[in-house]
Amino acid sequence: MLENFSFRTIVEYLPLFGQGLITTVWLSALSFVGALIVGIVLCAMNLQRGWLFRVPAKAYIDAVRATPLLAQLYFLYFGLPRLGFVLPELVVGILALSLNSGAYIAEIIRAGILSIPRGQVEASVASGMTYVQRMRLVVLPQAFKVTIPPLLGQAIVLVKDSALLSLISVSELTRAGQLLASDRFMPAEGFLTIAAFYLLLYYGLKGLAGVSSRWLGTAGART
Amino acid sequence: MTKTGLAKTGMIDFRDVNKWFGTLNVLKNITLSVEPREVVVVCGPSGSGKSTLIRCVNGLEAIKDGDLVVDGQRLGDPATNMTQLRTEIGFVFQSFNLYPHKTALENVTLAPIHVRKIPRAEAEKAGRELLAKVGLADKVNAYPAQLSGGQQQRVAIARCLGMRPKIMLFDEPTSALDPEMISEVLDVMVAVAEEGMTMMVVTHEMGFARKVAQRVVFMDAGAIVESGTPDEFFSHPKTDRSRAFLSKILRH
Repeated sequence: MLENFSFRTIVEYLPLFGQGLITTVWLSALSFVGALIVGIVLCAMNLQRGWLFRVPAKAYIDAVRATPLLAQLYFLYFGLPRLGFVLPELVVGILALSLNSGAYIAEIIRAGILSIPRGQVEASVASGMTYVQRMRLVVLPQAFKVTIPPLLGQAIVLVKDSALLSLISVSELTRAGQLLASDRFMPAEGFLTIAAFYLLLYYGLKGLAGVSSRWLGTAGART
Repeated sequence: MTKTGLAKTGMIDFRDVNKWFGTLNVLKNITLSVEPREVVVVCGPSGSGKSTLIRCVNGLEAIKDGDLVVDGQRLGDPATNMTQLRTEIGFVFQSFNLYPHKTALENVTLAPIHVRKIPRAEAEKAGRELLAKVGLADKVNAYPAQLSGGQQQRVAIARCLGMRPKIMLFDEPTSALDPEMISEVLDVMVAVAEEGMTMMVVTHEMGFARKVAQRVVFMDAGAIVESGTPDEFFSHPKTDRSRAFLSKILRH
C-alpha cells in the first residue's frame, strides 16, 4: 500500500502546504481576536440585569450554538451579497469564525466571572468599591486565570473550524490538501499531510495552554 | 421620625426594622442603638438572624421596613451615598474573603489606594504598620493561600483598619478557625476594641464578650430576645430561650 504513497509529490507540494499553513495561522489568529471582542461584548450584555441587552445577547448565543458553522458561513457568503454587502471571501471567513467563536467565548468568560466566589464581591462591596472598581481590581483578574485554559481550548476548535473556509475558496491549509487531491488524484497524500500540520498546530496551542496554566498556578494560588 | 429624633441617635440605630427572605421574617421589629465606641456582641442560635442583622448595617442586605441610621445617614434614603458610607464601615467575614491574587500588603492597600485615593507610598507604609500591629510583619508579601486561617483573618482585620473606619462589623470571625488559632484573632479584636472602635460582633466567644463588650444582644428567630451587660447575660439570663442556648454552648 505504501508503495503507492508518493512522498515525492508531498515534498513537491510542500511550498503550497506552507502557504496554506501560514494563511490558516494568521486568519485563525485574527478570527480569535475578533471572537474575543465579540465574546467580551456579548458577555457584558449578558451579565446586565436589565433585559434590553441581556435578551438579545442570549438569543444570539443560542442561535449561533444551535446552528452549524457551515450554515452560518454560507449564510454570510451567499446571503450578504444579496443584502448589498460584497466582501472578499477571506473577510467573510474571518467574520464567520469571529461571530461563531465569539458566542462560545462569551459563555466561557461568563462562566469564569460567575466562578468567582460571592465572598470576593461582598468583600469589595464592603470596602466601598464601585461596580467598575470591583470588576477591574477583584473579579476580572481572578476570572482571567480561570478563563485562559478553556479559551485556548476554544482556539484549538477555531483552528480546526477554519478548514471550512476551504469551501468558500480561501487558500488555507485544507484548500492546499484539496488541490493536491484534485490536481494529482492523491487524496491520501493531500489530506494526510494537512492532518499532520493540524496536529502540529494542536500541539503548539496545547503546549501554550500548559505553559500558561503553570505560570498562572504560581502567581498567587487560590485558597 | 423627627429631626430631634435623628440628633439623639447613636452610631448605629435600628428602629422597628423588618426584613423578609421570601415569606420568612428574618428580622422582626429590631430596635437597637449602638453608641460610638461601644462594643456590642450579638449571639444566638444559627438561623436567628444575627448575621443578617449586621449585614444590613453596611447594606449587604437591604431592610424591608423600619429605619436604620448609620453614622447619621439613613439607609435606603436616596440622599445616602452607600459606597461612601461603606468606606466608614469595616466588615470582617467568617470566611475571610481575602483577595487570593493579591499579597497580604496588597489586600490591605487595595481599597485605600483606589477608594480612599491615598497615595500608594503612604498606603503601603500604613499597610505595613497595620500588618505589624496584627503580628504579621513577616508575612507582608505572602499570598492568602500561604497563610493559616488565623493569619488570613488577621490580614482581613488589617484590611478593614486600612480604611480607617468608624465602625467595624464582625460576622463570626473565629467560627471557621482551628481552635488554636482563635485566640490570636481575638487578641487583635480586643486591641481594636480598646482603641475605641464602635463594633458589632457576631460571636459565641464568651471570653471576648466578657472582656470588651458593653452589651450582649441575644437573638432568636429573627427577634432580639434579651440584651444586657455580659455579666448579666451570662450569669443571670432572663429568658428560657437564652438559658437553653447558654446551657448548650457552655456545656463543654
